[in-house]
Amino acid sequence: MRTFRGGLLLGLAVAVLVGAAAITYERYDTRTLKRTIRRGEVFCGVNTGLPGFSIPDDKGNWTGFDVDFCRAVAAAIFDDPKRAKFIPLDANERFKELQSRKVDILSRNSTWSMSREENYDLYFPAVAYYDGQGFMLPRARNIDSALDLNNSKVCVQEATTTQLNLADYFRANNMKIEEMKFAKLDEVFKAYESGKCDTFTADVSQLYALRLNLSKPDDHVILPDVISKEPLAPVVRQRDDDWMMIVKWTLYAMINAEELGVTSQNIDEALKSKKPDVMRLVGTEGSYGEDLGLTKDWAVRIIRHVGNYGEVYDRNVGAGSKLHIPRGLNQLWSAGGIQYAPPIR
Amino acid sequence: MQFTGSAGMPMGERFAMRRLRHLIWMMIAAVGLMLSASHSHAQQPDADQPGLLADDSFELDPEFRKQVVFYRTTEPPGTIIISTAERHLYLIQPGGRAIRYGIGVGRDGFQWQGLLNITNKKEWPDWTPPPEMIARQPYLPRFMAGGPGNPLGARAMYLGTTVYRIHGTNRPDTIGTKVSSGCFRLVNADVSDLYDHVPVGTKVVVRQKPEL
Repeated sequence: MRTFRGGLLLGLAVAVLVGAAAITYERYDTRTLKRTIRRGEVFCGVNTGLPGFSIPDDKGNWTGFDVDFCRAVAAAIFDDPKRAKFIPLDANERFKELQSRKVDILSRNSTWSMSREENYDLYFPAVAYYDGQGFMLPRARNIDSALDLNNSKVCVQEATTTQLNLADYFRANNMKIEEMKFAKLDEVFKAYESGKCDTFTADVSQLYALRLNLSKPDDHVILPDVISKEPLAPVVRQRDDDWMMIVKWTLYAMINAEELGVTSQNIDEALKSKKPDVMRLVGTEGSYGEDLGLTKDWAVRIIRHVGNYGEVYDRNVGAGSKLHIPRGLNQLWSAGGIQYAPPIR
Repeated sequence: MQFTGSAGMPMGERFAMRRLRHLIWMMIAAVGLMLSASHSHAQQPDADQPGLLADDSFELDPEFRKQVVFYRTTEPPGTIIISTAERHLYLIQPGGRAIRYGIGVGRDGFQWQGLLNITNKKEWPDWTPPPEMIARQPYLPRFMAGGPGNPLGARAMYLGTTVYRIHGTNRPDTIGTKVSSGCFRLVNADVSDLYDHVPVGTKVVVRQKPEL
């Protein structure tokens, strides 16, 4: 009797364990790196088409800031940026697709917010791009501060956080505005283009992209003021810390490289450097890459194939691109911005 | 800045004039280059073209046009911060912003960093290339009176007791490049604008890109 009861208990315990393990497996995935290596490719969820961030050409070649970040992760793992496969995802399906393991990483201009981490069991490892709401207006108005926009007619998309931020900002500064609301972004754009409003508010990166579609882009300016927080970040699943670490430190390696002056052009020279910070970055000192589950030269691979943060920024959205977005918040903390990476040490 | 010596001339003639002057100075520069080459330490021909009239219609790359940008710093408003690597000069404004101008900087080996003050300001400055510059570029004039053909351009702001200046240029096409002997050049319209904003005593921070 006693042994029967013991057996029953043991069996029950095993069943509970197996069940719990199964549920845990279903909810949490801790093998992304292993699966990625076995598959030989990183699956990246990207925007279906957003100039400067991720957009395919007619031959299916992807370019953009988000695309390059994913290539950097592939380069760190495989020493080959081509081992990144881009899977375009719509805004409303993106988090579900990541959760259901269709992609390894979401690099899709997604704003980091608390509810997104909570509701989908996701994690935003680090801010890749500080976006935020701004204003575009005709250059001829000769205004260079949002505080000079009192009594303006402002074109804005209806029922968005953009509209709420706009109202908050002007209330906080005791200024009056007239909202010109439209349901769709291209209606807002058309209204601004035809001169129905004095200024157009949307996220700054969006304003720079939309400006290209105006007949004379140069006749319009985007103010340096940013009135909301839209920190864009890559996204991974929670509880796969090894994978999260790789994604996080890929970005930080790129930012640190820029701060240390290491570029895709001088990377071979950097390998000979005797400066401790540079030596730790390029792996001539320490075993930081191996501790990530990669190789000593993980950061060299990223920088050689994709470039440092500044190179990626300039090529896709900055001075070397059509968008010409000034570095602004995304400049290094030591050069007027807020981009800051913890040290590799 | 419409202060050009040939402002009254018809376009074609003005252009021909400029071409001719250009040609003459190119020849002088070439002779100078041969001379300096014969001294066995061949120098890169400098971008200085004394006598060339600034092309005021030159369009700067958007990256180097004057604009107000976000800039976070602990330096007080009114400070000038120069980023050699970026080829930008920031005039710090209140509220986390700055007026940003495009600049030309020193060529490799002629860049520097430090903290200085503006010690003197001059409109349409005369140019007396320092002896070390003459030694490197013997074809340069020993003295040149201020004016539109002067490589120092419309304005100059002296940095500390150094030979370096923030100045204008008669070569707007060199903005965004590294060509000078350590000075910082802006197009004449920008340098005049900056000049009106900054008094003698203004703090100037010069930052260089990090060394490997």
